[in-house]
Amino acid sequence: MIVDFRPHARLRGRAPVDLDKAVTPVVAALSAEEADLGRIRVVCDWVQYRENFRDVVDFRPIMADSPGTDENLEIAVDVRRSQDVALRELTIRQLHDDVVGRVFLEDWVPGRDSRIWDFNALYWSALECWEKSTGRGYEQALPGGESDARNRETVRELISELFGMWQPLAVSGALPEELYVIELGVGDGNQAKVFLDEFRDLDRTGGHDYYRRLHYLMCDYSQHVLDLAQETVVEHSEHVSSFAVDATKVRATLGFLRHKVFLVYISNVYDNLPTDEVAQLAGRSYLVEVRAYLPADSAAFIAESVSADPHELPALVHKLLRLGPVLLTEAASSHFTDIDAAVEFWRQIWSSLRLQERYVPLGGLDNYQLAPSINGEIVRSLLESGSDIRMQVNNGAVASFVDCLALLHPLGKLVCHDLFVTELPDYRTSFRGPGKYDGSVVNWVNGQLLAQVGQREGFEVRYAPFSHRNGGNIVTMTAVARD
Amino acid sequence: MAAGELCSDGPVLLPTTVVGSYPVPEWLERLKTDYHRGRMSFGQLNDIHDVVIKAALHDQTLAGIDIVSDGELRRDNDIDYFLARMPGITIPNPAKAFYFDYYTADLDGTLPGSYTDPPLRLADDFAFTARNTSTPIKFSFTGPFSLARRVRNHRFGSDRDLVLAIARLLNAEAHALAQRGARFLQIDEPFLAGCPEEVGTAIEAVNLVTDGVEVTWALHVCYGNRYARPRREGHYDFLFPAVLDAAVDQLVLEFARKGYEDLPVLAKFGWDRDVGLGVVDVKSDEVESPELVAVRIRSALELVPAQRLVINPDCGLRHLAGSVARAKLAAMVKGAAIVRAELTPMLARESSSVAIAPDSVI
Repeated sequence: MIVDFRPHARLRGRAPVDLDKAVTPVVAALSAEEADLGRIRVVCDWVQYRENFRDVVDFRPIMADSPGTDENLEIAVDVRRSQDVALRELTIRQLHDDVVGRVFLEDWVPGRDSRIWDFNALYWSALECWEKSTGRGYEQALPGGESDARNRETVRELISELFGMWQPLAVSGALPEELYVIELGVGDGNQAKVFLDEFRDLDRTGGHDYYRRLHYLMCDYSQHVLDLAQETVVEHSEHVSSFAVDATKVRATLGFLRHKVFLVYISNVYDNLPTDEVAQLAGRSYLVEVRAYLPADSAAFIAESVSADPHELPALVHKLLRLGPVLLTEAASSHFTDIDAAVEFWRQIWSSLRLQERYVPLGGLDNYQLAPSINGEIVRSLLESGSDIRMQVNNGAVASFVDCLALLHPLGKLVCHDLFVTELPDYRTSFRGPGKYDGSVVNWVNGQLLAQVGQREGFEVRYAPFSHRNGGNIVTMTAVARD
Repeated sequence: MAAGELCSDGPVLLPTTVVGSYPVPEWLERLKTDYHRGRMSFGQLNDIHDVVIKAALHDQTLAGIDIVSDGELRRDNDIDYFLARMPGITIPNPAKAFYFDYYTADLDGTLPGSYTDPPLRLADDFAFTARNTSTPIKFSFTGPFSLARRVRNHRFGSDRDLVLAIARLLNAEAHALAQRGARFLQIDEPFLAGCPEEVGTAIEAVNLVTDGVEVTWALHVCYGNRYARPRREGHYDFLFPAVLDAAVDQLVLEFARKGYEDLPVLAKFGWDRDVGLGVVDVKSDEVESPELVAVRIRSALELVPAQRLVINPDCGLRHLAGSVARAKLAAMVKGAAIVRAELTPMLARESSSVAIAPDSVI
């Protein structure tokens, strides 16, 4: 049996984790139940998200390569919550098949295809309903209470860099007439407004005449969000265009800008795009498959609150995700008297939602399509970088990144503020998602993978702590053409 | 000699050729990288290179290309193969995380002024290719200006001196190539578009390379193709008038991706030699139709006579998938054939009317 205690740092400090409490009850339960200990690995994480998709103890089958071969088993313990529960009893219950009574909302799927991403999409499309229900805006739910892209000093630095790049091009006659800037994920438009205000002011001060040539493209998944954002930047309307864009398929809409864009500006988007997780365990590569479910007691409680049986919940959830809370009141009026009731149902389901996981062998990395133009070979060196590892591959972010790089002018730059894992060993010591941020999903972004992808596309990718806020986890990624 | 006259079955109108590099499949990238990580011996990798070069020649022949290349498949990229063998150059770290990465190269020693045994051994590479095809061969190598851009110059007083010293070395290589039977050589300057102000030095060096080597010479200048990305966006007017002094027979230029607005620049500045016309975009996976290729050739014919046109992709095919590259080459050959079929009767009529003219005067 292997015991992999990942959050080493928690063993020291002012309030160290009690290793006895975190691990011993699990091992004792397994010993008492005569489980095949040679086929078991116990992994301990510190799940920092108060709202997440895990139970204190989760069992994860490690599927065999071929029929007739026995499965192995991973037992995952959330150390943060394990200290104050009857861990031994929880483990024994799981050993005796505690899945009875769970209400599954989907069949086994790769992480990126899970229902949780439908919830995520619903959050952004019905944000107004959610915010009304919780009484706070989504930006207040962010760690700093404000999107990082609004920091004026950061924006001014970016614009100054652009002007510095354009000046020699203008002198040599190589500066295009149209100067394109793209913002991906526009929120309420204030990020764009800050950029445009500062751009106009710095242009006036410098006497460049760049503002007249500027085309600022606001891109967002939601037309509704874009409409609101347009109102925010109305004084710059001659220089702003809006595009409803799926962040993972940027080129489908903006392909006409190939090699023309000087700046792609992204803030807190990548951590919110669908992702798979892959793992290397005992020299073999696995894809993590998941199955969203509601625990039995939660399902019973929620079902009763909407005058339904637990077995009706998957259909109601499906309707919620397809129609949104407003139309749900019409489609299932016997369960929801008004929109508030539908939103409450949504919030309760979301809060209770868990993910069951299993490891499925990857037949060959090249058979695993990570993004439209990238197969799993790109992660080989990361997976084979040492001892066992499990990590996000951020399929949505990688697809978005590759598409955006293709739009960049030869001297263009991509700037992205997000939650990045910049060092591979961090995956062996820290839990990096998925977690719940308000009504959305959050996964840290695999910085080493994006660096590798960028390198293969001809870019140098650098990471630095976000320089205009002390503390916090936000990292700034920049990508510029290399060589 | 015009490139079309190199063809084995007699002069060809609108001859088709490639710029140089050929697709490197993912498995070959992995093996090349394995070599740099010490997981494969040089001998094994060399065997693999022999095989893939034969395959590339076969692909081009099947596509109907009139003048083929070895696909530059022995080379990690456009620079390292040359610098790593150059006297006076040291490579502090010969290991690579990925084979396509550039080495860091330092000039710590001296580059000799003359060479009895050219150190890059490019003639051996040509000889291997010649043994494996009966089709005429274009042999390409990176020019002195671009090679010098990747050298940290600790030795020469000026970068220009370094460029010219490398040019002298390449001249020795070119002599050796000609002695082994090469008839069509191409100098690639992929970095030149990024340094338009230095075109004079680059052309001076080109003339040192070609000096005394009696072959058909081409000069390829594109806007960059590393990782299938342009290095610069601009216009070819930066080449002129300096390039008019280049002792080359043909300019091989990129047009398909950017459009043909730059073509009048050649006429405007009086370029009266051959033009290698880029008719296939190598930075896009979208395969052009033969009809589109034909349209591109026809539009060029409004400015350049057919006898001076050579049909080629915009640049090397390295970054394309093999299937895409093969399809693009096939489309290019068919497109050229369409226009050739249109031109042949017209040219025949023109030549017969020229023959009749004296009589009519009488």
